[in-house]
Amino acid sequence: MDTSSPAAFVNGGLLRMHVGRKVRTVIQVTRSDAGSVMGKSTDGCQLVVRGSPPAPLTSYVEVIGVAENESSIRAELWTNFGDSF
Amino acid sequence: MPSQATQTAPDRPSSSSKNSDARCLTPVTVKQLKDLSKVGESGISIDGVDVNNIVLVGIISKIDNAVSDCTFRVDDGTGWVECTKWPITDFNEIAHHFLECIYVHLYNTKLRPRMTNATDGMTAQPQVANSYSGNHIMGYSYQTNSTNQFSNQYNTDEEQIRGISSMVLQYLRRPACLASEMGVSSDIVARELNVSVDKVRKTLDFLASEGLVYTTTDDHYKFTDA
Repeated sequence: MDTSSPAAFVNGGLLRMHVGRKVRTVIQVTRSDAGSVMGKSTDGCQLVVRGSPPAPLTSYVEVIGVAENESSIRAELWTNFGDSF
Repeated sequence: MPSQATQTAPDRPSSSSKNSDARCLTPVTVKQLKDLSKVGESGISIDGVDVNNIVLVGIISKIDNAVSDCTFRVDDGTGWVECTKWPITDFNEIAHHFLECIYVHLYNTKLRPRMTNATDGMTAQPQVANSYSGNHIMGYSYQTNSTNQFSNQYNTDEEQIRGISSMVLQYLRRPACLASEMGVSSDIVARELNVSVDKVRKTLDFLASEGLVYTTTDDHYKFTDA
């Protein structure tokens, strides 16, 4: 089994504690551009997720990636979580 | 309670379980399974609770379609494991599953060690994913065995107390001790268990503070469920 890169569940407030480490969270998409997505975290913070989102992108998306700073994640894996969550 | 929630729904990903007669389903993460195989026990248990059927939720990262079966690799963020897959349509299942894992884990490690054995007249909290039997207390984080061997691996006072607690409780739950109205004095307990009186007294104080024993007269103790 491979547990070499476990991703910690975070929200907006916890993200700052995991900067530089792998994290995962679900965000509600507020804006979506070519190279990044802005969304609201589960605790109401505005987060930026850099990377290539899947197309089409649903309202809620889970991202797993590396925390760049306290409000930004560099996504490695995106998972559409649908429109009702 | 977790055992209610885990009626196996057809769209729940699940690892193939051993052939067993376990009635309960335990939510787990791959990390928990990995820690299991490191220990290498023949009877699988997590947090002191026997585990046979499990629920596992994650992402499919590899698919292998064979004639007779389909094997998949499920990655849940804490690791991956080969297993069989059912589809998820409601993504709330994911958050719900991990919350269940957390809850059940905390329940088994924190709350269950405080519970006494369920006997007549005593309200027992429902066991979590556990085939519970016998007179010994399961779920203690320290694996105290039922013999009276006092192992030397406990270092601190607190560890020693916890190590003896199970022995002392077992002694107090003997029919002779339960039947005695006055209970048992700490001297006798110490002598019978071959442990110092001082340690026994500290242990009995601890057990009394947990509500598992009570004092009758001076220095006499009885198990609470008598």
